[in-house]
Amino acid sequence: MVTPPDSITMDTQGSNVVLQDLKLRQINCELNPLTRSDGSALFTQGGTCVLTSMLGPVEVKSQNLNIEKAHVECIYRPKAGIPTIEDKLTETVIRDTCESALLTMLHPRTAIFIQIQELDDRCGIEACAINGACLALLIGGVPMKFTIAAVHCIVDKDDKVVLDPDHCEAIGKRASFVFVFDSLDKNLVTVHTSGRFRMGQFNDAECMSRAASQIIFNFYRRIISNFHNKSLLTADSKARNTEVESVVKSEQMDI
Amino acid sequence: MTEIVLPGDRICAAEELARSKKVILGPGLRRENEQVIACKPGRLHHKEPNTYWVDNHQQRYVPVKGEAVIGVVTAKAGDIYRVDIGAHDQASLSYLAFESATKKNRPDVNPGDILYGRLIVASRDLEPELVCVNSSGKKGKLGVLMDGFVMNCSLNLARLILRENCPLLRELTKEMPFEIAVGLNGRIWIKAKSQRETIALGNAILAAENASYEEMPKICENIGNILFS
Repeated sequence: MVTPPDSITMDTQGSNVVLQDLKLRQINCELNPLTRSDGSALFTQGGTCVLTSMLGPVEVKSQNLNIEKAHVECIYRPKAGIPTIEDKLTETVIRDTCESALLTMLHPRTAIFIQIQELDDRCGIEACAINGACLALLIGGVPMKFTIAAVHCIVDKDDKVVLDPDHCEAIGKRASFVFVFDSLDKNLVTVHTSGRFRMGQFNDAECMSRAASQIIFNFYRRIISNFHNKSLLTADSKARNTEVESVVKSEQMDI
Repeated sequence: MTEIVLPGDRICAAEELARSKKVILGPGLRRENEQVIACKPGRLHHKEPNTYWVDNHQQRYVPVKGEAVIGVVTAKAGDIYRVDIGAHDQASLSYLAFESATKKNRPDVNPGDILYGRLIVASRDLEPELVCVNSSGKKGKLGVLMDGFVMNCSLNLARLILRENCPLLRELTKEMPFEIAVGLNGRIWIKAKSQRETIALGNAILAAENASYEEMPKICENIGNILFS
């Protein structure tokens, strides 16, 4: 009775993208590793790993108070040291992306906090952080319009578009893209690019990412189903940990 | 009727039913023009004849009018007490909202006290407001909770315990005598004869989160056996 999101539709006209090429690195996730936040997720894509947590709706500072909608704030912590200017940019991108997915007008005069701790960056940390943040928001149960999936893409040194590369493939990259899609019609929510590329390459990358985002949406659905079929919020930490393990094991994904 | 929905999923069954009669949409669902769309992830439930809702594992309490909650008095400010109920904002509680309280006869409530109250105002634009009396001015089960122990649990567990057909409390009473107050904001107050029994009770309740109705009597029996053997 629930209509799943539209199946993968790909416009392959004028591009040399082959469907079989769509491979993302292995995705893994552990839900609620943190006990005191309202929702948290340990999310890995290949070697890239982030720990995300969310808090909200909670009390808001008076300078951020908005009578129309909730104030959304994102805190991004790099693996070591204090956040740099670049991290601040990432933070803003994640914040704006998440805000567009959240139904902030349902909780006016409150704040929703998203914390992201980078654990390991083997390329594609921004996409990984957005996906992790989306999972944390889902677990936290704040109302959302749709789910979001971010896919990382690069133009490598041979001028080829590569989907979700690892750090070895990304050496000498000419450009990198992060595309974020919504789960309704796979519309673009966010694009973040850097480097030099041709318009054709951009279109190829977008096309591939759009098709690949379905993998992430399927993953969300599976992990949320598992979560609700077997809740992990047990008080007994021993039982909890073994359960988490089994869930994580069953969540191994070969695409 | 148990399937998992994610935000953005359309609920076609509810839309179809809406063509012939009125449909009630519970938490987690909203209407956009003619479409019914889920806005929270969780299990979709349907209750005959026409109610739909999504059951999700939210941790943070969002006040709802008419719900009974457990709060901690944080401050006394003029005519009102400020009560922390775990929501985004502190609730206010008038000192006249107690049984037989008058302007001269103030209730004895101090910061740090635990209260069991009912929300009478819970709008997204207004501060939540608590009362400790029912509509006829009697305190009923509401009011200050003396002694005992308060523990936090998930909102899901609080709702589960209060469900009519849940056997947990019925089974626990067979093992030992105790008092309990369950707030829908995910706080449970328990008072048993000894600390040992309180801890055992707390563990039994928290362990029930993942148990099915059939397993609950077993958990309770186990706790009883450990305690009194």
